[in-house]
Formats: sequence, structure tokens, C-alpha cells
Amino acid sequence: MAGPAAAALLELSNVTKRFGGVAALDGVTFSAAKGEILGIIGPNGAGKTTLLNCISGVYRLDGGDIRWQGASIAGMAPHRVARLGIGRTFQVVKPFQSMTVRENAAIGALFGSTEAHLPPRQAFERADEVLELVGLAHKSALPVTALTIPDRKRLEVARAVATNPRLLLLDEVMAGLNHVEIDEALEMVRAVHATGVTIVLIEHVMRVIVGVCDRAIVLHFGQVLAEGEPSKVLRDERVIEAYLGERYARQQRGG
Amino acid sequence: MGNFAQLVILGLLAGGVYVAVGVGFGLVWGVLNIVNLAHGALVIVGGYITWQLFTAYHLDPFLTLPIDAVILFALGYVIQRGVINRVIRAPLLFTFLLTFGINLIVINVLLLIFKSDFRSVTPSYSGSGIEIGPLVIPYTRLAALAVALLLAAGLAFLLNRTRTGLAIQAVGADRDAAQLVGIDLRHTYALTFAIGAACAGVAGGLISLIQAITPTAGEPYTLQAFVVVILGGLGRVSATVLGGLLFGLIEVFAQSIPGSGSVYANAIAFGLLVLVLVVRPQGLIGRLR
Amino acid sequence: MTGFRSLPDRAGQRWRRIFLVLGAVVLVYALAAPLTSLDAAQSAGLPLLADKLWFRIATIIAMFVVMASAWNIIGGLTGYAAFGNVAFFGIGAYTCGMLVARAHWPLFLALTVAPAAAAAFAALIGVPLLRLRGHYFAVASLGVSVAVGEVIQNLEMGSKPVFGGASGLFLPIFRSDYRDLLFFYLMVAAGALTVGITWWVLRSRFGYGLIAIRENEEAASVMGVNTTAYKVAAFALSAALTGLAGGIFAQWNVFINQENVFPIEYNIQMILMALVGGAGTLFGPVAGAVALQLLIQFLSGSLPISADLPFVPADARPIVAQVILGLLLVVTVVFVPRGVIDFFGGQSRFSLSFLRRSLRETSV
Repeated sequence: MAGPAAAALLELSNVTKRFGGVAALDGVTFSAAKGEILGIIGPNGAGKTTLLNCISGVYRLDGGDIRWQGASIAGMAPHRVARLGIGRTFQVVKPFQSMTVRENAAIGALFGSTEAHLPPRQAFERADEVLELVGLAHKSALPVTALTIPDRKRLEVARAVATNPRLLLLDEVMAGLNHVEIDEALEMVRAVHATGVTIVLIEHVMRVIVGVCDRAIVLHFGQVLAEGEPSKVLRDERVIEAYLGERYARQQRGG
Repeated sequence: MGNFAQLVILGLLAGGVYVAVGVGFGLVWGVLNIVNLAHGALVIVGGYITWQLFTAYHLDPFLTLPIDAVILFALGYVIQRGVINRVIRAPLLFTFLLTFGINLIVINVLLLIFKSDFRSVTPSYSGSGIEIGPLVIPYTRLAALAVALLLAAGLAFLLNRTRTGLAIQAVGADRDAAQLVGIDLRHTYALTFAIGAACAGVAGGLISLIQAITPTAGEPYTLQAFVVVILGGLGRVSATVLGGLLFGLIEVFAQSIPGSGSVYANAIAFGLLVLVLVVRPQGLIGRLR
Repeated sequence: MTGFRSLPDRAGQRWRRIFLVLGAVVLVYALAAPLTSLDAAQSAGLPLLADKLWFRIATIIAMFVVMASAWNIIGGLTGYAAFGNVAFFGIGAYTCGMLVARAHWPLFLALTVAPAAAAAFAALIGVPLLRLRGHYFAVASLGVSVAVGEVIQNLEMGSKPVFGGASGLFLPIFRSDYRDLLFFYLMVAAGALTVGITWWVLRSRFGYGLIAIRENEEAASVMGVNTTAYKVAAFALSAALTGLAGGIFAQWNVFINQENVFPIEYNIQMILMALVGGAGTLFGPVAGAVALQLLIQFLSGSLPISADLPFVPADARPIVAQVILGLLLVVTVVFVPRGVIDFFGGQSRFSLSFLRRSLRETSV
């Protein structure tokens, strides 16, 4: 088997997705190793969310292959991908509106990966554990409509963690948060990672990438532009100029 | 003249009615996102106005069409402004039930006024027509097709070339953005529904020339309008014209199959509907919303 | 463990309690009254609380309890606006009718097959239809119900109608000294079964999955809910229970045709009942069915207590009743899109300010 390491959990090779004539993903190849935190960055429209949608089965591929522990999962329905142990969050949060925070998290534990899939009573117990982990325990009885934006993002993570995933795909869970909130969110990601979950996270906020990621991949126009250690990738001339733009370059020089 | 050509002619003539019924329905659906279950009832209101004017004042049925349009325009404006506007942001089920309630009211008020007797409009020229081979095409049906196409063309012109039409389209595309550029949402919604109702009125006038009407005669037209709009594709007048004519053709051809008869009109319509929805949800030439 | 309607405030709770007590009293009366028609009760000198008319109306109410609660499974819990459930009622009725009248099956055996036939049909059409959303699903399901009725009435084989054709289908009269009583209890049992199944669904993984689909189908699927299977199963379950009511109706009414087992207005009525009482709740559709069916019967003048409508001649009465129903529908939908529902769901206040707020939320 080709690939960087035998421990690769998820491997993408030449993944391509078109909308009409536009290729949102154009031959994306990378892999995520077991136990790492992999960051994916890129400007708006680079194809980051499309990538997650392809992995989690929401979109069908137009080309290439996605392998999970060596076996292809391309074209699999979302619920089957989830059962394999791939959890995800949505950038635009999609809570179950009429439910409480606790019930939302419980849905993840009721279904989710084959290791999760608990009967209702245990699912609610698991929900409580997960809410503790992400720091929402004191709000578990509230309706989701009463949550603030940062808390809704936490709930997204809680729900995904409750599915008991081996790989967690986080879609911009820190976008729109302030500095304090980001620090709290970073704590949360580290806490989840400490339970043994591999994490792929999409981010806009550079501090996040440098702060928690072991490795970063830069997507640009649906292609992988650079890959490597976060601080190095962010200092890469091509990345700064071609993609991060003038402003970030100035910022880097200034401070 | 072959059998096939005859069926094509008959199909297009039947399709004219569906075009007339479909354009107003499609406009309301596309812009307001309301499936108007009272559309067929409004169509029949138009039919009764024509019948009343024809029997009481001996007005030529084709001359009554503008009157149908004006009266239904007013009725439609009031319905939308007074009632539907109040729940337009509620979940789909509610607007569905609401328009069904309006349908119930309109039909039963018609029953109170006109009773359930069959009424037909038969001007002196209703028996004559053009002979093509063995086929006699009544002038009324030909004129009905022409009027339906004119109606569609007029609507397309209104939507694409006038200020009001562009406002309607803007509201259909993005309610909030339209409001930001200064469009009066309530008025534009009411106007849209009123225009849809006016189209229904004209369609009803045409239908009264073609078939005998009763207060409940409009019900099948609601469902057929839905199929026509889906068939062509939501969001364009031209698509509805195509859908309407095609629907007429399909109906006539299906009925010509020996044994099936005309009794399966609804079954055919909905078999077709499900097929189109599953295979090509955006319709033949429609845009996906 | 919490259920899904777990956010009551105190005022809602109090109303809910009053409502439950009231419901229990009505239920006990309805279940006990028929017993006074037994010979033993009559010879013991008990007053007759249930005559022919009582049985007729009570059985129809029970029938709508089944239909509204069954609709609740696909419409209220799963959030798919099914507008064609009457198709399953008709299929159940014709399945039972054909088996009893033509194949001479015993009624109770036929009543096990009727729901199965309806469920099988629902599963068959559910696979393509449930891929549609919103208006598309609503109208497509409505269309299916119209089309099925038409096909059943007109289907011929060798120029002989298969299902009795336009003249309908007659069933042999079920022999029993207490026919009215039997069919009333049978329909009530179907209602109890429907409520019982809903109760179970609300507590099961299946039910949680359905509600997740209603709230956000995409999120549900990435949580691991097999959305297609769940939706089709909910649709089939709803169909089976509706078909059971149809089967009982066929034998009770003895005569069935397109008009009495495929009426389009049943589609609307069952939805309205569920909505008024509280879609997605356990007892909401039951309460809605009882209240609305009583109102419908009252307006059409079938109840013994009937007020004369002023200025309305007797022959126009049924039509005026329809107009009133329509107005009621409009008023209900416009002024209480959420009010009534949440009121019975025990979720929120029943107050003018709440109504005003909900009106502001939905209007432009």
C-alpha cells in the first residue's frame, strides 16, 4: 500500500469535485496519520468545506479516491461514513432546533459510530460526559435557541464527539470568536484530542493552526499548495504572497 | 391527414388551457414560494363571471376576459394583503392549509350563489370551426389557445420589461435584499398574487367556453397546474408554456391508448409528476431553486 | 431521562394538567357509555347513554384519532408534509373489502393484511417520494392519493371492474348482536394501538432519529442516522395504521367506493387535527381529532345538540358549514401558527402577547 505511513487513518488521492464547469477540488492528495491534529487552511472558495463534504459522504466524488484505514469509502452514504467513526461539525451550525443541548448531544451517542450507538439511557449519560468535556455541562438543560454563537459551535463539537469518532473533522469552529473565546476553544480541541481522537480542522485563524496543529495543508483553488509544519508553511513565500495576501505579509513583517 | 397529426393538434389545443392555468400558479409559487391550493377555485370564479356576464348581459365571452382579470386581480390583492401576507414566513404546512381553507371558502360560496348545476357558455359561433380533414376544430378552442399564449407573452413582458415586474423578480430572488433597495414587500407580494389571480380569471373565462362548469370543477386544475409548472420548470414563463403544451399532448396521447380511456387523467398526470421530479427535478428548462 | 418536549413553563404545565384530566374524564365516559346498550344493562334499568347516532359519531371520531395520530408519525415527528395519507386509508379499506367480500376471509384475518398492504405500498412509493422535500413531497403525495383512488375505481380486467368499479364494493354484513359496540371498540383499539406505538416511538432510538431528521436532515445523516431507511419506515408505519382504520371502516360501513374511502378532504382534516392539537406530541393529535371532528359534526348538523344558524335555510346548511370550516381554518392558521400547538404541547403561554408575537414572526 502506498502512503506516507502505515498508521495513516485517512488517505485522499486525487480527489476531484466539480460544480458545473468549476472544479472546487482539483486532484487533492494528502493523508492524516493516527493521533495527529492536521490543519487545513485556505481563502474563501479554496474548497475546504467541499473537501469535508466529500470525506463525510455529503457529496459524491467526480474523481479520485478516499480511503479509511486502507478501504475505500468514496461514494458511501453519510450515515455509513459516520458509523465507521468519522465525525464532523458544520461551519454553519446545524443544531436540532427544538431540542435541548443535552438532547442534541445525545443524538450523536444514540447513532454515530458502531462503538457509540447506545440505547437511549446510556446515550444521555454519554451526552453528559461530552458536554462536560466541551464545557457546556452547566447549560445542558437549555434549549439550543438560548445558546450564544460560541456555545453553538461547542455544541457542534459535542455532538460530533458523542458519536465516538476516531477521526473528527472540524469545520471552522473558531471563526467569528474573539480572543478569549478562541483560547477556550483551543482548550476544548486539546481536551478532545487527549481522549485519543485524530483531528482534521479547517481554520481561518492562523493562531489556531500554529497553536494546536502538528501539520498544516494549504488549499488554493482546489489544489494543495503547500504542506508541512504549521509555522514553516505559514512562512512559505508562495503561501504568503500567492494566497495569504498582502495584508498578512505586512503583518508578518511588522510583528 | 394522419391520426398522429390530429392528436398533436388536439393536444396543443388542450395544452392552451393548461398554459393559461399554469402561468399564474407558477408566478405565485416561484415568487411567493406558495403552492396556492385555491388556484383552481379562482379559475372557476373567472368562469362564473364570464357565464354571468354572458347569460345576463349577452356579452361576448371573449370580451369578458378583461373583466375577469380585473375582478380577480382585486380579489387576489385583498387575499394576499389581508391574509396570506400574515403567514408567509410560517412553515410550508401553514400556507398549504391556509390556501386550502381559502379554496374551501371560495368553492362553497360559489355553491351558495350558483348551486351545483352545470353551466356552460355557448355563443352563437361555438358550434362552428375549421375543418381539417375529418377533424373539426372549434373556433373557440383555437381562440382559447391564442389567448393563452398571448397571456403568457404579456406576463413575460410584464415581468422582464417593466419596473413592477423587475421588482417582483427581485422579491422572488431575495426578499431581504429587495427590501434593502426600497421595494415595498407587502405591496409587491400582494401585486404578485393579484397578477396570478388575474391570470387564473382569464383561464377560467376560457375554460367556461370549453367545458360546462360547476363550483368544484376547478379542483383538478390546481393539481394539473402544479404538474405543468414542474414539468416545464419553476421560475420562467416560457418553461410553463412548454410544460402546459406538453402536458396537453401527453394527456391527449395517453387517452388515445385503447382501453385506458379518459378515466386515468389524474393517474397519468401524477405518474408523470413523480417521474419528472425524480429524474429531473428542475423541470425541462427550469432553473433549480 | 428527558423526553423531547422537555421545556415546560409553569403556566403551560397547569394547562396541560387541566387538559389531561379533562381528557381522561371524556375517555372514561366514551369507553363506558357503550356498555349501557348491552341487554344486561338495559334490563337492569340503566339509562341508555349510547344510541345509534352516538355510536356513529364516536366511531368516526375514533377513526380520525387513528388517522391524525398516524399522520403525526410522518408529518409531526419526521417533518414530512404528507398530504396523501388518505391513499393508505383507501388501500386498507379495499384490501379488507376484497378479502372479506371476494375471498371470504374472516374479518380479523383480513384486518391483519390491510395494514400490511398499505405499508407495502407506502414503502414502494416512499423510496422515490421521500427524496423530495417541501412542496414537492406534499403535492406529489397528494397526487398519489388522487391517482390511487382513480385507479382502484377504474381498473378493469377483461372489461370487468376489478374492485367493483364506480358502483363500489359491498361487504357481507358482519353478524353480531352488538355490531355498533363491536366496531366502536375495534376502532378505539386501533386508536389505542396508534397512540401506544407513538408512545414507544417517542422513546426509542427510531423516534429520536425521526426528530433529528425533522430538525436537520443533513446533520442527522452525518450523526449516523440512515435517513432514507428511517423516513421510509416512518411513512410505512403511518400507512399501516391508517390502513388499519380503513380496513375497519370498510367492514363497519359495509359499502365502500372512491368517494367514501379516498376523500381528499380527509388529507387536510387529519393534518389540521394534528396541528391544532400539537404535531409531534403524543396526545395532541388525539385531542385535535376529538375537538375538530365534533365541530365538523356539529356544523353539518349531525349532533343532537345543534344550534340553528341565523339566515341560513336548512338545505344550504352543509354548504355554510363548509364555509365556516374554511374560515376557521384560515383564522387558525393566521392567528395561531404556534400558539395552539405549544399550548397543548405544554411548552408555552396561552396569551394574547404570545399570539401577537407569533403573528409578527410569520408575517411580512
